Amino acid sequence: MDMQSLSRRGFMIRTIAGIFAFIGAALFAPLGGFGILPALKKRTPSWSDAGSIVGLAADQPQERRFFETVKSGWQSEKQERAIWIVRRSDNSVAAYSSNCPHLGCGYRWAAAEQRFACPCHGSSFDINGKVLGGPAPRPLDTLPTRIENDRLLVRYEVYQLGIANKVLA
Amino acid sequence: MFKYVIDWMDERIRVRTLWETAANRPIPGGASWFYVLGSTLLFIFVMQLLSGIMLAMYYAPTPDHAYASIKYIQNEAPLGSLVRGMHHWGASFMMVLIAFHLVRVFVFGSYKKPRELVWLLGVCLIGIVFGFAFTGYLLPWDQKAYWATVVGTSVAGTVPIVGGLLVNILRGGSELGNLTLSRFFVIHTYILPWSLALLAGLHVFLLERAGAGGKRDPLQNTPDKAEPLFPNQIYKDSIFILLVFLAIAALAVLAPAGLEPQADPTDSSYTPRPEWYFYFVFQLLRIFEGPFEVIGTVVLPAIAGLALILLPFLDRNPERQLSKRIALLSIGGMIVTGVIVLTIMGARAPVVQAPSADSSSVLAGRLLYGKNSCGACHSIHAKGGVIGPDLTHVGGKRSRDWFVRHFKDPQALSPGSIMPKVMLPENELNELTDYMQSLK
Repeated sequence: MDMQSLSRRGFMIRTIAGIFAFIGAALFAPLGGFGILPALKKRTPSWSDAGSIVGLAADQPQERRFFETVKSGWQSEKQERAIWIVRRSDNSVAAYSSNCPHLGCGYRWAAAEQRFACPCHGSSFDINGKVLGGPAPRPLDTLPTRIENDRLLVRYEVYQLGIANKVLA
Repeated sequence: MFKYVIDWMDERIRVRTLWETAANRPIPGGASWFYVLGSTLLFIFVMQLLSGIMLAMYYAPTPDHAYASIKYIQNEAPLGSLVRGMHHWGASFMMVLIAFHLVRVFVFGSYKKPRELVWLLGVCLIGIVFGFAFTGYLLPWDQKAYWATVVGTSVAGTVPIVGGLLVNILRGGSELGNLTLSRFFVIHTYILPWSLALLAGLHVFLLERAGAGGKRDPLQNTPDKAEPLFPNQIYKDSIFILLVFLAIAALAVLAPAGLEPQADPTDSSYTPRPEWYFYFVFQLLRIFEGPFEVIGTVVLPAIAGLALILLPFLDRNPERQLSKRIALLSIGGMIVTGVIVLTIMGARAPVVQAPSADSSSVLAGRLLYGKNSCGACHSIHAKGGVIGPDLTHVGGKRSRDWFVRHFKDPQALSPGSIMPKVMLPENELNELTDYMQSLK
């Protein structure tokens, strides 16, 4: 085989490699993006009415449920939400996300022990959301609230779980 | 006739040589019961493939319909419970046998040169099987599925720096919903089966190229002691496959796959438990708390994965005799014992029962409402059917006594009503009534 046909062979091999490297990149970039990018869309929750606060006793956590219209992919639907609210002694009202900041299980208020307790991995929190024990890396997540005409408005934000900082998901 | 067809084909595409090459592939040191695990895993994979394809016929991968479709498969479709049971138990057997296969190859030292790449592909296959288990779990969209996936995907969030991004990519957004279920379905039914088929094929092909390891003692692997793959080894494989198949079928009949009430993202009383083969991870999460959590969720699994990948490159001593590999075998033994102990601890871990704020009977009633499909006709807060009256504010409208009597005989109190009698024991009727009265 002379030098000329050898370089011709090398040219063909490089061209084949180039063609499929190009097709690979041009194919996988949009396919990968299609799979991943819709997942990165940020939620934009609006204010939801979480009920009246008239007669809400101080330091007695209460579970509230309300419906929020959320968009899940192709579908707009009414999603039921649960939150915990507490009227503090200074008369302000705090709303906690109902997901344990550890790994997202639902937790409950244990009135007898005056603490919030999560059944999954045993985290517990005091009435102000401070961690009393268990694996939770940060206090309960407070949600943005507003009071209008004695009704509690809440923006149901979702935060990243399992980390020490409260970061929007 | 058969011979004629084979002759005809042999003349054209030389099928006899093809068959003979495969069938006479020598098993060094002779056939052994220790070698049946690989082919049994292949058999289970084929079984999972077939039963999975059939399940997909009636399954709808959206949160609105997934639960109802699985319930249909489980309770109504003829043989549905059996097919789903086989798929369910097949998964568990896959987990057990892949662990045995791993331990067998480790103890025999079969991962050593020239089979390093065969081992590497095996490690990838273990990863794929765990991926199958994790994604298959969510598909029924029941309480267990939903909450195990909330926790499982959140674990990915503890990965430093990219954790948040990772969770969103896994879930298809920040919360579980349509996009989560559809991508789990695609991963479970398209991406992983194709990956597994490809890599398992390569696993077998590379073993053929590198040559099987045979017995630990090289003196046993002389050509005169070798036996052909077919029928000697395949005979042993077939008997073990039959036993595994019978066990899976028996379990599918005697212990059908469970189905809990439909997923309820607002339920704060539910205590999720993972499937048994994830107990050891579950237990690690309980041991490493707070700032150390990342050890249990990321560091240890990463070290384990890395150790498996690097094993044939770190342990380059060609010696395969047990007595000369005491140190490494002891480490392996300790890890296996550790995983077993963690699994048992995870299984026995006390369920931390958080007290409920709603009285427990309201919660029980809420579950009964779901279990008895009341929502097929009635709606609460715009969720449910339109055949019966809306129950969103029904609590203040009727007396307790009315509810109980109405459940027992709807037509007596509402003439012309098409509501069926609620055939439940008295205590459950009371719980259902408590739930109704809590709706205000």
